[in-house]
Amino acid sequence: MKLSFSRKVLNWFKALIHSRRFSKSWMGKNLSMIQLMELDACTHCAMCTSHCSVAVAFEGIPNINILPSEKIASIKALASGRPLGERELRDIQEGVYLCTNCYRCTVVCPVEIDLQNLWVKVRELLLQRGIPELSVLSPLSFYRGLMKGETTQGDYEKPLIQAREGIAAQCDLMKKKDKALPLTPTDRKFKSGLSLSAQAKNFSVCFGCQTCTTVCPVVGHYENPQEVLGLLPHQIMHAAGLGLRDLALGSNMLWDCLTCYRCQEQCPRGVSVTDVLYELKNLAVKYVKEKVL
Amino acid sequence: MKFALFLGCQIPVRLKQYETSSKAILERLGVGLVDIEEFNCCGYPLRNIEFKAFLFSSARNLALAEKKKLDVITLCQCCYGTLKKANFLLRENASLRKEVNAVLEREGIPYKGEIEVKHLLSVLDQEVGVEAIKKRIEKPFQGLKIAAHYGCHALRPSQVVRFDDPGTPSIFDRLVEVTGAESIDWLMRLECCGAPLLGSHDELSTEITLKKLNNGRESGADYLCTACTYCQIQFDTVQQMILSQRGLNHPLPSILYPQLLGLSMGINAEPLGLKMNKIPIREIGS
Repeated sequence: MKLSFSRKVLNWFKALIHSRRFSKSWMGKNLSMIQLMELDACTHCAMCTSHCSVAVAFEGIPNINILPSEKIASIKALASGRPLGERELRDIQEGVYLCTNCYRCTVVCPVEIDLQNLWVKVRELLLQRGIPELSVLSPLSFYRGLMKGETTQGDYEKPLIQAREGIAAQCDLMKKKDKALPLTPTDRKFKSGLSLSAQAKNFSVCFGCQTCTTVCPVVGHYENPQEVLGLLPHQIMHAAGLGLRDLALGSNMLWDCLTCYRCQEQCPRGVSVTDVLYELKNLAVKYVKEKVL
Repeated sequence: MKFALFLGCQIPVRLKQYETSSKAILERLGVGLVDIEEFNCCGYPLRNIEFKAFLFSSARNLALAEKKKLDVITLCQCCYGTLKKANFLLRENASLRKEVNAVLEREGIPYKGEIEVKHLLSVLDQEVGVEAIKKRIEKPFQGLKIAAHYGCHALRPSQVVRFDDPGTPSIFDRLVEVTGAESIDWLMRLECCGAPLLGSHDELSTEITLKKLNNGRESGADYLCTACTYCQIQFDTVQQMILSQRGLNHPLPSILYPQLLGLSMGINAEPLGLKMNKIPIREIGS
């Protein structure tokens, strides 16, 4: 599928002329000339999407921007200065973040667009705009961590802080440490959602022995773990049991979990503690997404 | 003996030597490998975000291997744990299987749950066997002290992975000792490498890494040995980053298990990719 050299030169020349119209938009100003030309060089052949490592995630997260061929179309719209709503911007942001940085799209692109670096660039630009993106608190950030030296400390930290603040803003009860908690009415929707989930349904058999918390290497790392982590694993199980959504979703513990599965392995009641934490993270992502915009 | 080789997203771009060294040793040990180009992400990094996205990703890989009637061999333990988890759920939960298959059927690959997921170490230990490996050792190490890093996602949750005894595993130690090296006893051998939090909480991630490295060094290890993509990148690339940031210069180098085994089998440095490690391991065994 590789194009001939003369054809490629012609395409690039056309792209150079076209790319001028991008130079006035916010996105256009921040991309390099080469990247703007590349946007126009895309023929939307979808070769990238058919080889994308995470394209199948679209079946679980129906955001078309997960698919590289659609992602580049959205970025093109953004660069051409088309006014996009906050929701659309957030979807593009989520789409560019749901990427394992495997470079497969870039390797297969028949017009040789450096897609991987385009995603990285656009990702960083969008993340600085202030909409919390909870995917930054997942192992998808591994690559960003390896590339830490490429951004300033402030730009690097901002999306991480924003994501945590985004969750905190939706979990009001976490801030009211002295408040007497009303146990009725229970948040039934939250509790039954958890009870029906495939991976977390056994949280309610927890009898509060604290084994999970005792063996947790993250809890063990801190002198005053609650100050840093909020609720500890056994307390999170308890909060879930009581249907206290804010407390179950609002702790840093969820995102600081190493997923080492020590807690789950040791639980004398057979509670899938790590998997419950996974499920709670999923719920927090969904909840913040619904609430923020 | 033939397996579908599952490389995952990181190895081809960030840890090529894990692929080449594994292929080199497995070929000599008579393990056939089939590359399935259509494989996608195992689903591991998606677990924090959306359960179904993880499950569909994992299931599609299992279905692709099943179509070729092949069990899967993974090199990465995070891929291993994730694919194992999905396989477990799909076998146990008929309604989930139905939902997943509704998607997979569009590609003509419904998953029946008939294949197994294995890790490089379990294939070497259980399918090839330590005795058979022993016969291929040409240059056994002498006096080399190795700290075997087991890796969380291979060991736990044991009910799902069934890799080894989760409290007192011995598979990695056996495989290290067959090379002539000593597998040292060390307190933190079953602890996490810190990689899952790299990029999301760097301070905690690196503290967890350093604690483990210090314990390995204090226990007398010459090298750390891993059998997981993320663990190796953490102990090699990330350790180097931490050392240069903090102006330290006493690393505990990390070697991938197939590199260690390959050297003792007399395989050249080239296919083992020794030069590709960030913290030099070239002097091992000399």
